[in-house]
Amino acid sequence: MSIIEKVQYIWPEIAMFIATCVVMVLGLSPSLAIRRLCSPVCGAALVIAGLLAVMGPDTAPAALPHLMPYAKVIVAGVGLLLLLLLAGTVDREEESLIATGRARFNPLRTNRAEFYAFFLFSLTGVMLCASASDLIWLFLALELTSLPTYIMVTVSTRGRSHEAGVKYFFLGALGAATFLYGFAMLYGGTGTTDLSGIRQHFAEHGINSIAMLGLLLSVLGIGFKIAAVPMHFYTPDVYEGAAAPVSAFLAFVPKTAGFLAIMLIASLPGWGYGPVAGADGVIRDGLGAGASLPEALRLTLWVMAALTMTVGNVLALWQNSVKRILAYSSIAHSGYMLVGIIAGPVGERFIDNGLAAVLFYLLAYGVMNVGTFAVLACLEKSGGAALQSGARSTGLETGATTEIETVDDLRGLCRTHPAMGWTMVLCSLSLLGFPPLLGFMGKFPLFTAGIAAGEIPLVIVLGINSAIAAFYYLRLVAAPLLEDPSPASPPATPTPFPARPMAALLSAASVLILVGFAGVLMKQSAKAGETVVSPGHTAGRGASDGVAAWNP
Amino acid sequence: MTTLAQANLPAVMHQLTLAHYLFVSAAMFVLGLIGFVTRRNLIIMFLCTELMFQAAGIALVAFSRFHLNHTGEAFVIFVITVAAAEAAMGLALVVLLFRRRESLSAEEWAEMKG
Repeated sequence: MSIIEKVQYIWPEIAMFIATCVVMVLGLSPSLAIRRLCSPVCGAALVIAGLLAVMGPDTAPAALPHLMPYAKVIVAGVGLLLLLLLAGTVDREEESLIATGRARFNPLRTNRAEFYAFFLFSLTGVMLCASASDLIWLFLALELTSLPTYIMVTVSTRGRSHEAGVKYFFLGALGAATFLYGFAMLYGGTGTTDLSGIRQHFAEHGINSIAMLGLLLSVLGIGFKIAAVPMHFYTPDVYEGAAAPVSAFLAFVPKTAGFLAIMLIASLPGWGYGPVAGADGVIRDGLGAGASLPEALRLTLWVMAALTMTVGNVLALWQNSVKRILAYSSIAHSGYMLVGIIAGPVGERFIDNGLAAVLFYLLAYGVMNVGTFAVLACLEKSGGAALQSGARSTGLETGATTEIETVDDLRGLCRTHPAMGWTMVLCSLSLLGFPPLLGFMGKFPLFTAGIAAGEIPLVIVLGINSAIAAFYYLRLVAAPLLEDPSPASPPATPTPFPARPMAALLSAASVLILVGFAGVLMKQSAKAGETVVSPGHTAGRGASDGVAAWNP
Repeated sequence: MTTLAQANLPAVMHQLTLAHYLFVSAAMFVLGLIGFVTRRNLIIMFLCTELMFQAAGIALVAFSRFHLNHTGEAFVIFVITVAAAEAAMGLALVVLLFRRRESLSAEEWAEMKG
């Protein structure tokens, strides 16, 4: 496929890129009215990108032909929620000083332009992951998703975010080097970086050891993006150090990019492996005989999934900071979704298709995750926790306030701040997978797909973990709903940004309302999860389908 | 234009095979990984990740020659570009942390634990 033909699939990304360039200039304007345009321009770009994705070509010649429109629309949709939440994250002190006339606008001290531009860049990277048809493209898309987030973490608060940013950057670079080495091995084993070319090579010649090493290293490296064991260490510290809106961003955006990339990598060998008797009578793994990933890859993902959900859920039990609880829960949710990747597309129906389950769960997780973090972003308390943690006093702080942090701060929230309290209750119940909320709709197909694929032990681990998770999610539910406000801690006050409660209420409403549209969403995600490498294709047929798909 | 075979190179150069390059590349990758895990100086840790990136670069070029196509070489150009962007960003972050902490040790991360 020539580069000109590829352009028709990436109009949403092109629109986002143009908006990014515009935002970078607008944010540096000395006029406040123009600086304020950053956020609406980002919003318009996301809406346009979503519309372009819907109107664009429905079918692409790739392993997952219908993936692009769905993935891009959910990224744009959750991106809009995140954009509302990000209001006022950077430059709050600067802007208040300028507004009161105590400082003049200095383009060197403002972060607004870069912050919003990096926000759009990162989302563009996720969309490009969905369109990737080549390892080089996939590598660049993953890096485009990650590099801006390092800066977003660092500039998000004055307190601990520098340490968080440095830690995130270093482990991110380690992850990137790992999957890059994996991509190099995949190229070495097959002689091409084109995803369909690699798939065809695997179908015709099997998987040699170098390519298998490449697959494993790629999955391990991309594990950083989804915060999977053994690349999960950064998660709690980074989420705690960054401002709550940026933590919400980190929990959705790199994770989506990572899962899209893992889907593409797993679709290279496909889910049709099983024991085949070779010409010499020896039984070994071959394409087309079974319904699972190649054994080594399946085992790696299996161990990653089981460890990821267990580590995430068990460690979350001991936390007292809400952000750390949500960080460990984010690790656990990656483990749940890996079950869908292992199961793969077992059948045509939604409940049999693990990939569709993952795609649906990404949307559900994005929405409910934004809701919980939004509650933290909407409320603040006076007090100098940020100063104690080593922020250098610049003499510019205007009544230092910090985000609410511990579970104690949530106590009695349903009475003191009913909207926020109920958002927390609804979104936590949804994260727990409480029927009939959105989280339940998302988790259910992961179970059924796992059972359909015959991964019974893993489904049992998933069930046990969902039960463990109830302990800490119910703490987040009980504190605002049942307990009295804590007399010891100062009362929480709302932040002066009306967009943030709007994000919280929209996510809480979506957790309820999207259940009504679950049928439509499931149909769309089932379509997006269809593959041309589904099991049951024999080696020859799988290969010829791939070729036919690539030469429309 | 002289090819590799015609060039006035020591005889040993003609005996180099793909395996040699891959060995060097794997050694660099593993050394980078070990260095990243064991060293506590942020600059050294950063150089270790760069070592791992360049290990992938060597493997790509070697494979590119082996497969007689230029895809791997094209990939390396992108890898070097991304590595440069990461270097700029990483060193900026390290400088920022150094200004606050007056230290380059990764032990400074110990502030957040749990």
